Parts: sequence; structure tokens; C-alpha cells
Amino acid sequence: MSTLLTIDTVGKRYGSHTVLDNIQLDVREGEFVALLGPSGCGKTTLLRLIAGFVEPDYGRVKIDGQDVTHLPPYRRQLNTVFQNYALFPHMTVLENVAYGLRREGIPRTEANGRAAEALALVTLAAFGDRYPREMSGGQQQRVALARAVVKRPKILLLDEPLSALDMKLRKKMQLELKHLQEKLGIAFIFVTHDQEEAMSMADRIVVMNEGRIEQIGAGTEIYRAPATRFVAEFIGDANLLSYETSTTGEIRLAVQAFATPVMHSNVPKRGVAVLRPEHLQVVDSTAAQSNSLCQLSGVVTDIVSVGSHSIIHADVSGHDIIARAMGLPSAAMRLGNVVQLGFDPSDLHLIGDCA
Amino acid sequence: MRRAFAVPALMLAAPSAFFAAFFLAPLVVVLIASFTGVPHPKSLTFTYYVQILADRYHWNVIIVTFRIAILTTLCCTLLGYPVAWYLVRLVHWQLWRRLCVVLVVVPLVTSNIVRAFGWMVLLGRNGLVNRELMDAGLTVHPLRFLGTELGILIGMVYVLLPFSILTIGNALARVDAACEEASADLGARPVATFWHVIFPLTLPGVAAGGIIVFTLSVSAYVTPALLSDGRISVLSMLIFQQYSSTFNVHYGGALSIVLLAFTLIMVALANRVSERRGSSI
Repeated sequence: MSTLLTIDTVGKRYGSHTVLDNIQLDVREGEFVALLGPSGCGKTTLLRLIAGFVEPDYGRVKIDGQDVTHLPPYRRQLNTVFQNYALFPHMTVLENVAYGLRREGIPRTEANGRAAEALALVTLAAFGDRYPREMSGGQQQRVALARAVVKRPKILLLDEPLSALDMKLRKKMQLELKHLQEKLGIAFIFVTHDQEEAMSMADRIVVMNEGRIEQIGAGTEIYRAPATRFVAEFIGDANLLSYETSTTGEIRLAVQAFATPVMHSNVPKRGVAVLRPEHLQVVDSTAAQSNSLCQLSGVVTDIVSVGSHSIIHADVSGHDIIARAMGLPSAAMRLGNVVQLGFDPSDLHLIGDCA
Repeated sequence: MRRAFAVPALMLAAPSAFFAAFFLAPLVVVLIASFTGVPHPKSLTFTYYVQILADRYHWNVIIVTFRIAILTTLCCTLLGYPVAWYLVRLVHWQLWRRLCVVLVVVPLVTSNIVRAFGWMVLLGRNGLVNRELMDAGLTVHPLRFLGTELGILIGMVYVLLPFSILTIGNALARVDAACEEASADLGARPVATFWHVIFPLTLPGVAAGGIIVFTLSVSAYVTPALLSDGRISVLSMLIFQQYSSTFNVHYGGALSIVLLAFTLIMVALANRVSERRGSSI
């Protein structure tokens, strides 16, 4: 698929504060991209820059090959779903949805017809005559969505559109959004601080921190092979253990002066090793040796059981190591017990210091 | 249950009593006076209403009064909106905005009489305004402002403009910036955004300011009295004459009730219009 949106080395600062720093990103047609990061990481500014509400200090933005860097929002072929929906309170739902079409000069009857179609798409066909204040948060969210897709933009920008909804509704809307996106074939750029949301919806995730892009990739890729320490910590739970490689090529974890066989030929000399909790299992030492697992021994300090799985915190020579076991905790996992935590060395992901 | 009622009742008692004693009671007194007086002070009569409503002179005064009030309201709204826009939207320097608001409000704390005299000086035959107009070559002979409706209008707009600016400014400040961004995002140029989003959202504020200005200007006395130069009469001046010079409280009362009735009708009409247009706020 061809590239629809190009963000070419864009930067923005407010005073001495750098909000965006050398941002480079391509979005392809029909792609679902999530901008993910903690609050203040610049993801919303990046979205507003694409929409045209913010002009970059340097770099350019291209949509469909056209340079739109200095075009005002009303001349860009994209639409936005705003965080608090920003529905027009003095207009009915149908008028809200028809607004964008009317501003294009489309006659009222045609605009209303197309607006009604868009409302049907979000299952609100019967609500056209209501005012936004007469609707629930979830319904307002759908109206905002209908209003944004009614003009069939090539790109839809969504600024944390689900953050105001409760957990159950949010899960439901995540699926609906994903289906809608597949149905319409519009590229979605979705801002969120919720990594699960990003993982479950997006084709690609752009992880941002302090105005920079830390990593771009599919959810599974980012989870399996985080490029930086920040990504490893931000996406899911992770045990981070510093390591260095020995002269013979072994990897030595700082914890318990522990050595594993070499896994890759070009391993960074020193850095942190990422070990996901689900890759650690409580084992007895004989089983570990026979399965060629590496072992850490620690004292159980905390057990949290959430039913489907249990989380075990263990003190391994002063490091808090988290392991996740399926099901309820077994007999061996009891507070104060010494346990062996085994892992397959190939599950270690290494991040070099210079990265 | 009883306690639940007792507390709000007690809290309401003082303002209710005050309202009844100093607002309702005098109004009732005026109302009673307007329906009595002929042939002797305590007999019921419609004489004064007939005298007012069947007479061309009185209708003339009523029309002048309301024409000035409506024009004042229009001018205040048309002038107040851009000023409010400037203060709320264009001024980014907080200190300058505060100073501007002070400048807008300061005339309100000086006496109406002083301000009316000021305008008499400015608008007189040899006043500053005429001198400037003649110097600029815009007129050969000095224009007459004093004793014309235009002169009164200028004075009234000056006195009442702050009310428009403050109410409209308040309404403008409340418009959700996200709604404007949504409008631009949906392809509306700034002018379209103004007419379709910003203006409708400020309409309740505009209406509220208009009603304040209208009611104040319809009942204004000092400004029209001083700037009329004895040539133009508005209702409040007739009422004042009846109470202060001829001591006819019945006639004056009837005039007051007529003014009140017409004002209420106008305000009710304005309310209906703004309710229909701005109901969704």
C-alpha cells in the first residue's frame, strides 16, 4: 500500500521545552497506527500537528504527496475525533454530523441524507433529532465518530477518544472502532496512553517519550523486542537486569553473577536484559537442569492472585523479580519460601547501553 | 421532614421580606394610585390610562422612548461585541486585558450626571465634536446634537456600553475552544466558524446583555433629561414631572405602569426569540 501521510523530521518547541524532536513517521493507506506514550510525551501535539492546529518549527508534513505543513486545518483532507468529542451543543445530532458536508456547500437534503447514513453506521439512526446533552457519553462518542467519518476522509485522527468511557464500554468500543476502520478502509491515527488499547487495536504502534519516537513496530514486535529500556518498561511488565558480556562471549547478569550461553553473535557489550514475567516459572532445581533452564533463586515477598494467573514477587539478591504463573499459586509459592525461578535463556531480550 | 423545610424557609425569609417591603409594596402603591384619583383620591378610575393611551402626544413620547432604547441596545451590542472579542480573544497580555476591563468599568463608578454634563460640553454648538468635524471639513455649520435623539443616543450608548461588553465578553470566554477546532477540522473557514458556532453559542449572552441595556435605557432619566435640552421628552421625564412638579401621583403612576407594561412586553418578546435560537445551551 502506498504512503498516505509523511512526517518528515518534524520538531516543535514551546520556549525552552522541546515537545517534538526529530519526528519521522510514515502512515500507509488504510493503516491503524497508535501513538502511545505517557502524558506529556508529545503524542497529542503530534496529532494536532497532523490536523493543522500546530505548526512545526522545522520539517514538513505531507498528505497524499501534497505538502500541507502550512495549510490551516479547514483545508486538510482529514478529520478528527476530539478527546471530549467537542460536539456543537446548539445543534441536533443530525446537524452536527451534517455540519462538515454543509460547509462544503452540499445542499441540506443531500447532507442530511448522508449524515443519517453515517449515524446508521454507528447504530444511532434513531437519535438524529436529539441534542448532544441528551445523550450518554458512549453515544456522544459515536456521534463524534459519525461526524468525523461522514466526509470520508483518508485519515481519521482520534485523540484518546475512549478515555472518558468506563472500562466495559471502552472494551466494546475498541472492537467497534477496529471493525469500523476495517470496513471503511480509512487510515486511523489513534492517540492513547493505554498500552493494552494500543496493542489490541493498532497495526503499528509508535511509542513516544519526551518528544521523541522510541520505537515503531507491530504490537507483538514491540513487546517481544523493545528497542529501548523505556519501551521495555512502558509496554507490559518487565524484569530489567543489567548484564555484560564476558571475554568468552557469555552473558553475565548482574544478578547472582549469573552466566548464560551466548545467543547472538553481535550482542551489545553491556546493557539491560529484559525478562518478561510470564517467561519465569517456579521450578525445582532438578527439573530446571534437565530442561536446560537458567535459574534464579529468591525469597517470595509477595503473591498477588487475580484468578486466571498469579503474580509472584521474589527477592533475588536484592532485586525485585516478578514472575507470572498461570492459575492459582501452587504450594511452593508461599511467603518467605525460597523458590527457584527458571527461564529459557532464549527468552532474554538484550538492550545495549548505547541504544 | 419539618426540619428539611424549616432551614430553607428561614434562609428565604429575610430576602423575601426585603423584596416584599421595598419592591413589591411600592409597586402595589403605584399600581393602586394609577387606578384611582378621579373625581376624588379614593375612587376607582381609568381616566389616566385613557388620557395616556388615547392621546397622540403620549404615544409620541412612548415611541421616542422605545426608539431610543432599541437603538441604544442595537448600538451597544454592535459596538460591544467587537470590543469584547478584542478583550477575550486578541489580548494575550494579561495585564493589558485587566487594564482594559478597568477602563471599561470605571465610568460606571462615576456619577451619571457628571458624565451627561461631559457630553453636553463635548456635543455643544462650540463643543469639541463640532470643532473637530469642522476642522476636518466634514461639515460647514456646527451640527446640532443637544436636543436631538442622536445626542441622547450617543450619551446612552456611552453610559450603557460596559454592560454589553461585560456580558458578551463573559459569553465569549465560555465558548469551548474545542468546538471551534472541531468546526475548522470539518472544513469551516474562520468566518463560517464564527457564524455557525461562535455566534450562536454567545447568543444567550448577547440577549442577556441586550435585555440589561434595554431595560436600563428605557427607564433612564438623567442622560436623556440633560441631553434633551428641553426639546425631547421620554417617559421617565414625564413621570418625574408628575411626581416632582405637579404632585399628581395618579397620573405619574399610570405613566409608570404603562412604561413597565411596554418594557415587559419587549423583554418577553426578546426572551422568546433568544430562547428559540439559544435553547440548546
